[in-house]
Amino acid sequence: MYIEINKKKVFASTGGKPFTKDQPLVLFIHGSGLDHTFWGLHSRFFAFRNYSVLCLDTPGHTNSDGPALNSIEEMGDWVNDVITHLDAKQISIVGHSQGCLVGMEYASRYPEKIMSVSLITSGYETPVNSFLLDAAENNPEIAVNKMISWGFGEAGHMFQGTIPGNSMLVGGYKTMFKNPLHIDLHACNNYKGGKKAASSIKAPCQLILAGKDLMAPRKSGMALADALPQTRELHVIDDCGHMLPLESPNECRNLLKNFIFSNNPTG
Amino acid sequence: MADFLSFDTLSLHAGQTLDKEFGSRAQPIHQTTSYVFPDTDTASSLFNLERGGHVYNRISNPTIGVLEQRVAALEGGSASVCVSSGMSAVFCALTAIVSQGDHVVASANMYGGNISLLKNTLPRFGITTTFVDPTDLKSLESAIQENTKIVFGELIGNPGLSIMDIEGVAKICKKNHLPLMIDGTFNTPYLCRCFEHGANIIVHSLTKWMGGHGTSIGGAVVDGGNFDWGLNNNFPTLTEAYAPFTGINFWEEFGPSAFATRIRAEAMRDIGPSMSPMNAFLLLQGIETLSLRMDKHLSNTKALLEYLSNHDQVSWVNHPDLPDHDSHQMAKKYMPKGAGSIITFGVKGGRDAGKAFIENVKLASHLANVGDAKTLIIHPATTTHSRIDAEALIAAGITEDMVRISVGIEDVSDIQDDFNKGFRAAKKFC
Repeated sequence: MYIEINKKKVFASTGGKPFTKDQPLVLFIHGSGLDHTFWGLHSRFFAFRNYSVLCLDTPGHTNSDGPALNSIEEMGDWVNDVITHLDAKQISIVGHSQGCLVGMEYASRYPEKIMSVSLITSGYETPVNSFLLDAAENNPEIAVNKMISWGFGEAGHMFQGTIPGNSMLVGGYKTMFKNPLHIDLHACNNYKGGKKAASSIKAPCQLILAGKDLMAPRKSGMALADALPQTRELHVIDDCGHMLPLESPNECRNLLKNFIFSNNPTG
Repeated sequence: MADFLSFDTLSLHAGQTLDKEFGSRAQPIHQTTSYVFPDTDTASSLFNLERGGHVYNRISNPTIGVLEQRVAALEGGSASVCVSSGMSAVFCALTAIVSQGDHVVASANMYGGNISLLKNTLPRFGITTTFVDPTDLKSLESAIQENTKIVFGELIGNPGLSIMDIEGVAKICKKNHLPLMIDGTFNTPYLCRCFEHGANIIVHSLTKWMGGHGTSIGGAVVDGGNFDWGLNNNFPTLTEAYAPFTGINFWEEFGPSAFATRIRAEAMRDIGPSMSPMNAFLLLQGIETLSLRMDKHLSNTKALLEYLSNHDQVSWVNHPDLPDHDSHQMAKKYMPKGAGSIITFGVKGGRDAGKAFIENVKLASHLANVGDAKTLIIHPATTTHSRIDAEALIAAGITEDMVRISVGIEDVSDIQDDFNKGFRAAKKFC
């Protein structure tokens, strides 16, 4: 669906059911260079179980008007604008990578409606090396190649997957190539407020890490786990890379389901 | 270290997840109609496209799934759907986009089955086609109408062997926001990866070089994931709610694989052109050696071109790698390794000489197929293209004296010896 925020067109897929403000909301926030399609194996599940679902395209990504936002803090505010506009309540945040930073920033500063926070493959900071930053700005093809190569584990590189015939690797490449990766990576690299934001979250938190993550190594994920409130859950899916929701969709969905069902139940 | 696995490695491994229970190295053949659901929630999730997996063989199958993922990997596509034949692939791909009242622009120089589908069958359902010379970009562009939904052609036209300027055609398609669909059967991704030149959809007869052993019929549709179906309102099958799946919007939910998902959800379910798991297994075996076979096909083709070009009973030889071929520059641009292993030529003495030639070769098999590891031979005007009219024959570049060879991978000296027998028999008609 399309809405208008600050006179800009914003797109969110809703998992195949219309959005309604009267149901608990599962809010999916994508990672750098990605978009709403990243959540295809999760959004329909919740939408058909009495949740409203929003898989946002952040500004400048795929179907949403630009320009892209330059900082994680601005993205957190923008998410709040979307939620305020839609008058959504009882929100479960699900973020991936950069989407975790945005989710933490939003949840820590606008805690009133947040029922749970699920963070997938992230640390509280995500420093980006200068080679990748430079490539994203000046040679996007190289940057996207590296992001996709490092982002996927064996399943992606071997063109395996649970959806018959689908290539996560190529699908990810096509999506990332058309989106403003360099702006996202700069925003991640410049973000320093993650530790404070993580420790300020009031809602129950869930952290899902990947054992073979080259983008947000387990060490940084464990540091995020330490920064989160004591009420957090921690899971590690071993044989999986950074693009965990695509590479291990069933395990990921089960963890999200159990956590969201218990912390943000539908009527 | 390379970012991604290379072509030959993907030919052997892409798509296969090793069997954890028995450790089978070869991809197992899942010869089953259906799959036991662990619980009702999983069952409903599978039916509602909430999770990946298999329900019923008409829709998908684990062995076929490996083939689909391997074909997608080799082409660089975002998704692929394998079907019972190359013609099924063309039909499923077209009907995922076109509906009653829509229009197709298609190359006139294509396989006779493609021509017949567009010229005879689809018009019965209100879908019309304008055929064009694929090398004439101006006429191609002028054939585009307000209701045109797709442009379709072969990179290597069969059997005329003209080469489409795929980048030129893609530019026209982009300007008019139309998807470009290429039948990549004759080139295979080993010779040309058409998505890299602007194609949006690739269809294959896997029966031919991909499978390569003449054992199994099969086809594939590959989604390039590189077309914006949502840019205008011209592609409602992908951008509007699809009632049979609870109003799913394929473009919104599946993005780069929207087109392939539509085929899976509609054509595979409602029409059912499913491949057999055994065929998928055999086609996978063929793909494992695709590059090795193609290299041998090409080296034999080169040797036979020289042999035929210098033979005093040959009136003409046609192959895009010949310097005097109209498409030679295009062939060098798009297929630097070589422009495939189909040769057409004329035997001096006309139709009777051609007949004598075909009936007296023994190693080369007289049959209606191409792309087998074995050398194949046929007279197109009386067989593969016999059901199209004289005008269409000319448009497809077919003459009465044309003999088509699909060059195999035997020792080339044995193929030449075999052809010498054919020429001896044809001599009396010269």
